[in-house]
Amino acid sequence: MATTLSQVLWKYAARPAAVAIFFVLVALLWTFPLQHVMAYPFVFLFFPAVIGSAWFGGLIAGLMAIALSYVLIAFFFIPPLYSVSVGRESRTYVAAYLASGAICVIVSALRKRSEEEIRSARDELESRVEERTAELQQSNQEILERERQLRAITEAVPQQIWTADAEGHIEYANPELLAYLGRSSAPLLGEDFSSIFHPQDAAEFRESWEAARATIGNFELRARIRNAANAYRWFLIRGIPQRGGDGSVIRWYGVHIDIENQQRAQQLLQVAQEDLSRTSRTTSMAEMAASIAHELNQPLAALITDASACRRWLQSAPANLEKATAAAERIVRDTTRASDVVSRVRSLFSKTNYVRVPTDLNGLIDELARLLKDEAARRKVSIDLQLESDLPMLYIDPVQIQQVLFNLARNGMDALRGAPEPRLLKIASRREGDAEIIVSVTDSGPGFSDAIHDRLFEPFFTTKADSTGMGLAICRSILEAHEGRISAFSSTEGATFQFVLTLNSTDQGDSYA
Amino acid sequence: MHETVFLVDDDPAIRESICDLLDSAGIRTCCYSSAEEFLSQLSSASQGCLLLDVRLPGMSGMELQGLLLERRVALPIILMTAHGDIPMVRKALKSGAVEFLTKPFQDRELLDSVRQAFTLNRTSRESEAAFQSIHQRMQTLTQREMQVLELVTAGLTNKEIGQKLHLSIVTIKLYRGQVMRKMQAESFADLVKFWQTVHPAEPHKDK
Repeated sequence: MATTLSQVLWKYAARPAAVAIFFVLVALLWTFPLQHVMAYPFVFLFFPAVIGSAWFGGLIAGLMAIALSYVLIAFFFIPPLYSVSVGRESRTYVAAYLASGAICVIVSALRKRSEEEIRSARDELESRVEERTAELQQSNQEILERERQLRAITEAVPQQIWTADAEGHIEYANPELLAYLGRSSAPLLGEDFSSIFHPQDAAEFRESWEAARATIGNFELRARIRNAANAYRWFLIRGIPQRGGDGSVIRWYGVHIDIENQQRAQQLLQVAQEDLSRTSRTTSMAEMAASIAHELNQPLAALITDASACRRWLQSAPANLEKATAAAERIVRDTTRASDVVSRVRSLFSKTNYVRVPTDLNGLIDELARLLKDEAARRKVSIDLQLESDLPMLYIDPVQIQQVLFNLARNGMDALRGAPEPRLLKIASRREGDAEIIVSVTDSGPGFSDAIHDRLFEPFFTTKADSTGMGLAICRSILEAHEGRISAFSSTEGATFQFVLTLNSTDQGDSYA
Repeated sequence: MHETVFLVDDDPAIRESICDLLDSAGIRTCCYSSAEEFLSQLSSASQGCLLLDVRLPGMSGMELQGLLLERRVALPIILMTAHGDIPMVRKALKSGAVEFLTKPFQDRELLDSVRQAFTLNRTSRESEAAFQSIHQRMQTLTQREMQVLELVTAGLTNKEIGQKLHLSIVTIKLYRGQVMRKMQAESFADLVKFWQTVHPAEPHKDK
């Protein structure tokens, strides 16, 4: 409190007083010699003293200087001399001096204040700029540090990572990727990236890349990438765009994850599953056949024994008609039982759920092609769809017709096993006249002989070691239930299986079950 | 005690028809619907054969066959099945089944099998009886007489036997007469036959 008080005293009393006394005394000392040279020299020198006081000491110093200079002027230079009173004739002059002095003081003080404000504002600005600069430097350093960390992470992860510009030119590739490709960074950057893919996968990569660019979305695919030793491994490739403020892509980020082992295991698994399902199909078929045989043999055994007994009673001398009649009655009973078994087996196999729904046949074929895509790739078979557009809806059981399509396509692919490449499987649909739609499945395999042709649709007939021989027989019975038909022919180009579905009969269908 | 076919099958129609067929051929039949039921009524005096279905509720035909083998029941077994596979037939025949019939079968097949099984049963019963009687007679021999019997049937002369047992020929002749009498043998050939019945496969010690 004491210090503040002394500071206030210094600021508003002592300092202005000192400044005012200094300037006014300087002016006074110069005025004495000059009063002999010119009249009223005080105006000439006291004005600067007042202005100087006001400028350097502030408003209070200025006012003090006016007061002090007035006293000194009135005392030393205005008659009556050596008295502070002012003579009548000089009063106007002194008043004018005081007034103009006061104005000078005010103007000067105001000016001074505003200048000081400007200066302090400038100082503040400067210090702020300095602060900001320091902050910027620090954050720059932090960013650099973070970038170093990120870089270290990208170099440490065992996955391949890259960034590319909006056009897809590679800007950065992590050491893992470079090491895999067997390149130093320089020639890879900016290169056409799709050249590192397996020729069969490059198209798919370009496709998904173009799609991702068009929609500015993520892309993901599985593709083989060539390594330094010119061998290929499967990778899961993921790309993510970074958008700018206007929504356009600034940069692409990509990561490749090695899924070679996974892919291989999956393929093995799939093969194993196929084997298993084929085996279990065959086994369950055999088991079913055995149990049907048992069911049927039991009454048949009784039947034959009864018949033999009956004959023996009739042949004995004398004939035992009573016993023979009893045996004949048992024959009737056992025959009924055998025929019950047969009808039970029939009802087991007949489809009890009758389904006819409007179905887009081409949709079924498209779905089939999708389902078979992987298997076809594995067997190096290319599937060629030639579908007539705008086919009318068919009233069919889509599951059953899909089963027919599936069987025919699988047969086609089986026929292409060992055939020279290119291995083609053509699936075509077309309309024939007003009432019929024909679907054909053609393979570029070796075809079949006339002898085989005659037996193709027989149950249990097969040319394959691992087949039940039921596929085409089932196809035929499905088509017969749809009032359609199936046929096959062979030419030098391969085998064709085709089936015909009728438009008229398939939409009114509850007359048969 | 008559020769009987013991029929075990869970299907009543089969039981009825087979029973009637055998009846028409004059063969006595006892029917059982399960292996357990048959076992509960089995006696040591049972003669004939067993006609057994492989697939039975509870104990299966094959299991029953194993059990009878264990109990040394001498009934020949004819197995029947509605779905005979080769391994099962082989296994059944290996473990002593006489015949394996696959349903449906002809009456002739069944009757022939039954008759064959009856014959087999009869022969084995007779040989068992013969064995028992010889065995009993052999029990009456003294230790010395047994020694003489063994050496005689091995083809040694009285002199050789005497040397072997350090006895005089006269004494051996005396023992030999005793053995012939006790064994009720008419001739030397009978004696050899008796010996072989009791020790069928055994190679002779002194040969």
